[in-house]
Amino acid sequence: MIERLLERARRRADGGADALWRRGERTSVAFEWGRLKAAGVAEEAGVNVRVRHRGRVGVAGTTAVAETTGVATDDVGAPLLDRALASAALGEELDLAFPAQAPLPAVATFFDPAADASLDDLIGIGRSLLEQLEREGCRVNVTIEREAAETRVANTAGAAGAYRSTAIGVSAELWRIAGDDVLAIGDTYEGADLPSDDALAALVRSVNLRLEHALRVVAPPEGALPVIFTPLGLSALMLPVTQALSGKAVLQGISPLAARVGEPVFDRRFSLTDDPLLVGRAASRPLDDECVPSRTMCLVERGVVQQFIYDLETATRARTHSTGHGQRSVFGKPVPGYTNIVLGDAGRGTRDGGDDLGGGLLRDVKDGLLVDELIGVGQGNVIGGAFSHPVALAYRVERGTISGRVKDAAVAGNAYDLWKRVGDFGNDGRWAGARYTASVLLDGVSVARR
Amino acid sequence: MIDRLTAALGRSRADYTEIRVERSWSTAVTFRGRRLESATASEDQGGFVRALTAGGGWGVASFTSLDRLEAMVARAVELSRAVRVTPPIRLADVAPHRAEAILDLDGDVRGVPIAEKKRLLEAYNGELLAVSDRVVDTLASYRDEVSDYWYVNSEGSALHELRPEVTLSGTAVARRDGTIEKGLESIGLRRGWSSVQDKAVGFREAAERAVQLLDAPMVTGGAYPVILDPELAGVFIHEAFGHLSEADFVYENPQAREMMTLGRRFGKPGLNVGDNGAAPGLRGTLPFDDEGTPTQDTPLIKEGILVGRLHSRETAATMGERATGNARAISFRHPPIVRMTNTYIANGRGSFEDLIRDVKLGVYACGAFGGQTLLENFSFTAAYGRMIRDGQLAELVKDVVLAGNLFQTLDRIDHIAGDFRWNQMGGGCGKGGQAPLPVTEGAPHVRIEEALVGGDVPSGSAT
Repeated sequence: MIERLLERARRRADGGADALWRRGERTSVAFEWGRLKAAGVAEEAGVNVRVRHRGRVGVAGTTAVAETTGVATDDVGAPLLDRALASAALGEELDLAFPAQAPLPAVATFFDPAADASLDDLIGIGRSLLEQLEREGCRVNVTIEREAAETRVANTAGAAGAYRSTAIGVSAELWRIAGDDVLAIGDTYEGADLPSDDALAALVRSVNLRLEHALRVVAPPEGALPVIFTPLGLSALMLPVTQALSGKAVLQGISPLAARVGEPVFDRRFSLTDDPLLVGRAASRPLDDECVPSRTMCLVERGVVQQFIYDLETATRARTHSTGHGQRSVFGKPVPGYTNIVLGDAGRGTRDGGDDLGGGLLRDVKDGLLVDELIGVGQGNVIGGAFSHPVALAYRVERGTISGRVKDAAVAGNAYDLWKRVGDFGNDGRWAGARYTASVLLDGVSVARR
Repeated sequence: MIDRLTAALGRSRADYTEIRVERSWSTAVTFRGRRLESATASEDQGGFVRALTAGGGWGVASFTSLDRLEAMVARAVELSRAVRVTPPIRLADVAPHRAEAILDLDGDVRGVPIAEKKRLLEAYNGELLAVSDRVVDTLASYRDEVSDYWYVNSEGSALHELRPEVTLSGTAVARRDGTIEKGLESIGLRRGWSSVQDKAVGFREAAERAVQLLDAPMVTGGAYPVILDPELAGVFIHEAFGHLSEADFVYENPQAREMMTLGRRFGKPGLNVGDNGAAPGLRGTLPFDDEGTPTQDTPLIKEGILVGRLHSRETAATMGERATGNARAISFRHPPIVRMTNTYIANGRGSFEDLIRDVKLGVYACGAFGGQTLLENFSFTAAYGRMIRDGQLAELVKDVVLAGNLFQTLDRIDHIAGDFRWNQMGGGCGKGGQAPLPVTEGAPHVRIEEALVGGDVPSGSAT
């Protein structure tokens, strides 16, 4: 495996090396517009190596590896190292030290039911979703993906780790087109194991609930208003914060949070944790892609900025330690990246809001919006905190209840300002991708209409 | 390779089988600030098999180890059999082609040492940094690729292409106190080393713009007459209309078919839109798509009326139309799906001045930081804007976000100038988990009578 590649690297690179080998097999089934249409497999294997030579660091990657043996047949290993050394010859000096072996935490990343699920099992999940979601005038797309992967990472300082992992993704999307009104409502399940019956039922409930409220279209309100962002609708408010908490942004001098460690920057109820040790999450792993052991890390505690995430290179440049957030693919060099982000107080709200959208926050809103999806999140100058997006899916809230779906409206504001005073969190905490949050009520969001 | 693939096809027990194999060499260089962030060379290879059996669905298999070719053909056939589809999947007829297409490498990037690529990018990055000490950060990247591409199918097509690609981009970040602004330059070409020389001016202008934006006010939100520059007009037609004309959205959805009925009026006479995968010299251009269908110029809107759509062989057969050569995959890791190539608004008449002359208060929106569409609704972030006051260009404004409804907005295009140009940008299009796909957009200056511009909302912003 990669040990032989590193053995070679030890002889040719005076500052050591590290490498990642990953092999994965993905199985997918797709139901298109209500019909089972395709089934597929994807096999992929590749290796990424990084060397430090004469004080400079270089990387190279390839998928030209033998499937069964992993890598480091000599005819692949040698040119790969050549390329890594050529890359290092151009690089800037970097005092990168590869970490020594450290104890690794135990975390379950491989689930037999997911790995053993047959194609028919996956098709069965899709069929059951389809049956529950289809209705007159609507079309449904469903995809189910299962991935089983094996990761090995090691360096010339003696650290090594290997783990197997599984991941399941289920996504359902319901389309309703009536005249020129296009409505798309989707939700996903993502986890390391097969979804439980409850998880699938929750997915169906989530889509149905949002569809029922969407059938009636009402005029949007206008002005600086209270707005509830659902867990799916929160991206525009979370993205600036997660970008600013990356050590890379701090190093670049573009993080508004850079000089504010120890300061209360957000509402006291705003806490943020990155947790690679959560059982059942696809992003969990015992160590990162640079041999640094995983640990749960609090980024913001009760509104106070605690620390930033780093990989080895950004940590070296910032004269600090890697926080275990090195992520690398077969191509390119490692970059700092999050695992599972948990927004604190999420889901621990005390409200008994029933099963409606907003997790019990609706009753606090006399006239405002509930935002479930925005268009164009991530475009423009994200890290500065200012955002302005048309709504893809949003509802008007009047006198504590949802009166209907609004179209042709846009919301704007500044994430840092809005997070200074949280109205409240709902009791509907859930995963949306790799982020766990509840609904959040924020006051003074600009709502414009056309 | 073709012989090996043809032999593998011969062993397939499916009614239809196709195989793609790609082997690509790429280099990437990135500067951030004054620092070289990375300079790497990569090699990627792999294959893709798609099979269709009688009454079965698509069975697909992708792999990085070519040793697995025969096994993966068998696997794809097996998967197709495991999926029962009624009515059966049909493919529109396309005559089989055998072709060897070596695109113009225009200075083969594989012959250029990576150190020289670093020097070129360092110079362009230097242009960004030299503009002002307010430029606190830059991101400059160079990427090139040459792909050997083979395609065979069981109907007798056999293609080999050598495809070059080179992209160059620079972002300047200017900062004063808490204000951060960006300027962007981006070039993407299906060419080689010669085509990325002498590009310093664009980089300098991007940095100058970032600095100027520091003093620019945020545009006041509201409804305005808006003039799109050719770059943003191109992004607009791609995002707001192009995706709707992709037939995989409509072909099995009766309501969507109704909404997109050919003959429906979408705009005023004078609005002409198309997609041309065969236009010479563009990044979205290739001789064949990833189903072996020759690319072509497909009219989509003629004088305001919907006249066509983009097809794969499957969507064309279902709708009783002809394949248009728009089934594309970003790599061997993915199946071909209906995509755009080079999408355009055709030339109108007159000059930019003719468009603004009678605008009392409006916005000139330029460049694109990004765009997203959710079918009828879209959003674009312009790189910057200028106010138009009494028929004249006035002050620079920032945070120009255009939002709208496709049907209303297309119908509000009331003037199209005669200054068409293709915008050969980097980046690319994303759909169905496949990004970035090389595409090009082209347009002249376009005027929209009224569009919603986001930004500072007069009734009280939260900030």
